[in-house]
Amino acid sequence: MELDLATLAGLFGRSFSLWWAIVPGIALGLAVGILPGFSPQNTLIILLPVTLAMDVEAALAFMIALYCANHLSGSIPAILVNIPGSAGAAATCIDGYQMTKNGQAQQALVVSFVASVAGGLITSLAVLALLPFLARLGLVLRSVEMVVIILFGLTLIAVLAAKDMLKGLIGGAFGLMLGAIGTDQVFSTPRATFGFLELYDGLPLVPVLIGLFAISEALVMIEERVTGNAAPRAPQRPQWLETVDGLRMAARHWWQIVWTGFIGLVIGVIPGAGAYIASFVAYQQSRLFSRTPHLYGTGHPPGVIAPESANNGVTSGTLVPTMAIGVPGGSTSAVMMIVLQYQGIVLGPRLFLEQPSIAYGVFVMMTVAYLFMVALILPLARYAAKVVTVPVHTIVPLIIALTVVGAFADREYLFDMALALVFGVIGYVAVRTDYHVTSILIGVLLGPIFERYLLRSLRIGQGDILVLFSSPIANVLWCLLVVSVVLPIWRERRLARTAT
Amino acid sequence: MTAPMLTRRTLAAGLAAMPVAARAQGAFPERNFRVVIPTGQGGGAERLARSFDDGWSKLLGRQFEYEFYPGAAGQVGYELYVARREPDAYNLLFGNMGPEMIMYALQRPRFRFPDDITYFCRIDIDDSCVFVRQDSPFRRIEDVVAEAKRRTLNVATSRIPHPASIGILALGEATGSRFNLIPYAGGNPTMVAVMSGETDIGVLPVAGITAQTGRLRVLGIFSRENVLAAKTDNAPTINAVFGTRIPDLYSSRSWAIHTRAIERHPDRFRKLEETARKVFEDRAFLEAAEKAGQPLESIRFGDRAVCTEYALGMIELANRFRAQLSAQR
Repeated sequence: MELDLATLAGLFGRSFSLWWAIVPGIALGLAVGILPGFSPQNTLIILLPVTLAMDVEAALAFMIALYCANHLSGSIPAILVNIPGSAGAAATCIDGYQMTKNGQAQQALVVSFVASVAGGLITSLAVLALLPFLARLGLVLRSVEMVVIILFGLTLIAVLAAKDMLKGLIGGAFGLMLGAIGTDQVFSTPRATFGFLELYDGLPLVPVLIGLFAISEALVMIEERVTGNAAPRAPQRPQWLETVDGLRMAARHWWQIVWTGFIGLVIGVIPGAGAYIASFVAYQQSRLFSRTPHLYGTGHPPGVIAPESANNGVTSGTLVPTMAIGVPGGSTSAVMMIVLQYQGIVLGPRLFLEQPSIAYGVFVMMTVAYLFMVALILPLARYAAKVVTVPVHTIVPLIIALTVVGAFADREYLFDMALALVFGVIGYVAVRTDYHVTSILIGVLLGPIFERYLLRSLRIGQGDILVLFSSPIANVLWCLLVVSVVLPIWRERRLARTAT
Repeated sequence: MTAPMLTRRTLAAGLAAMPVAARAQGAFPERNFRVVIPTGQGGGAERLARSFDDGWSKLLGRQFEYEFYPGAAGQVGYELYVARREPDAYNLLFGNMGPEMIMYALQRPRFRFPDDITYFCRIDIDDSCVFVRQDSPFRRIEDVVAEAKRRTLNVATSRIPHPASIGILALGEATGSRFNLIPYAGGNPTMVAVMSGETDIGVLPVAGITAQTGRLRVLGIFSRENVLAAKTDNAPTINAVFGTRIPDLYSSRSWAIHTRAIERHPDRFRKLEETARKVFEDRAFLEAAEKAGQPLESIRFGDRAVCTEYALGMIELANRFRAQLSAQR
């Protein structure tokens, strides 16, 4: 799987010449990513007749651009109206929306764009350099290691619960209970589905996401308008100066972009691990190693950088197992695989020898797509930030209409629209009683995959719980997990002692 | 209930509509087909269905639109298809008869086979096999059984209700060896589990394993004959090695339709049956299937009777192994 410089230069040249496929891919990916419920894989499936008819390289360039742009634009509604465009952007809401409330919507968008583009760019270049190593990494991180990695994400519940531990933990436990709805992970026996066919596959993420964040936020806006308690609105006229300010904020945290991007890359390499695991783990780690952990949750730029860079690092990682061993790393790469196989391309190590223009080309195209995004995205921040100036009586019906349609679009069940409304009420009650909706969401998102990997590990250990400590990598991760739980407590106590 | 009143006007309207109705009947299909796939996107079922519809859509003059409803070992897709799709012969299901009939037997879903759904065009026979990673210490299937008599071996499988899982349980029962099934929710993660060494061996349909030559090695086949001998390094059949009488265990993808659609629209069903059979003569389909990773040797047409017999046999087999395959003891 070695690659020489001349071939690499040729691949870059070829990828730039495919701008006519990349630019529409970016535009479509951005549009789709903004709307909750419209996932890149569904969009690619709708467009399959087009991509199957295209030249294979152009089709790949288009799909990759769409995929990367989609991961990027999920943060736009997360920052502006507290509605993540995808589950991967849910962690971005925590600080992104706070920045908007603090009158820094444009800066937050710029920070998120820079983190996304730089995170994606760095990790796709890293894949080109480290492909043989990364291909093996996907086989080294197994179920036991995944249990610990997901626990990193779950500890974020405790972090969010810091202000009111009891409520935070209740929220997280409630989310975990909801996450247990659906068929069991071993025998596929339905449980807690109340006979609803729509719940057999577990709680659908999109309606839950839409309900907890979008509908509840719309209800809060309505309430504040009716009662006249609305908080002062953000700046009325976004300025270019704010874009520059956002760039400065991102540049100040360049190192964070790099290492959280790599968290995304490593998690993306593991087949089946979603972008939301990466973004929650990155957020938790970013807070852990920060000198100002108390600022997280108050509109702190690193709280936007970490999930966004990790989220886009996943895009590079997820294609590694797809290309290197012919096993899709996620649902979007599964659709890409169909297009490649339809064109007679056999994925796996031989592809790197026989058709390097495709095998390496994928990652070069990704790098080029991110380079195009630098130019296309930044100006968008100024115009996108104007959303916060839209009056409540206009934006609320828009949010409800678009997101309820989004809830339907993912699986095409009317049930999901009702479910979004139910979760909207749950989210509203949670907000009004100071329960953190993100805690509930983390439980719903991470609970089922935690259960899957835990039960799988225990079956592998044939019932012996010590299997969870049977691998050196897992043991290192366990130690890091203990450190990440103990360190903030120790640090807070030390600060309290210093203060007294 | 009141009987509809027949007047001159309604009679005239009816007569006038007759040629239109006849034209509409003759014009089947008038619109695209909608296909429910009870597994996820990007899997073997989707690839095979799309390869097949390349040829079929040419004969029918209409396209196929796919919807994916995975979950509960296929139960979601089947229940949704039977209960919520119009039985008009425009709505089809593309399923994997083996695992999905096991699901039917074990989970007792809200539909009846073959009263509600009928398989009518089997596309392939994909024999179940036992496989290991290339550098595994197990060189032959006998090594696996010998080791499994000493300690319980971990076996990666796509899902517990699956013909390949039944195969390894039956082998354990026949030889006194012990196997512990670990479900990985799909063929791809199952292969990764074996490649990474997370499990000792794996069981899956053999076609996918042949695409991983060099990384995975087939040790034995649960069938009376190994039709992919050339692609599996002449792996023996399990029954030949151990003298067991394990039935042929294979996955078998097939098109299915509402049984009510067959009763209501026999002409439409006839057209679907006839055209589907013709697709197997189309070189384009065979080439597309091969490009999608489906070995040509595994492509074998089976009509409605063959499919029904196979599905009922699988239900019987699942009931025999209910205790090991289900949480309901």
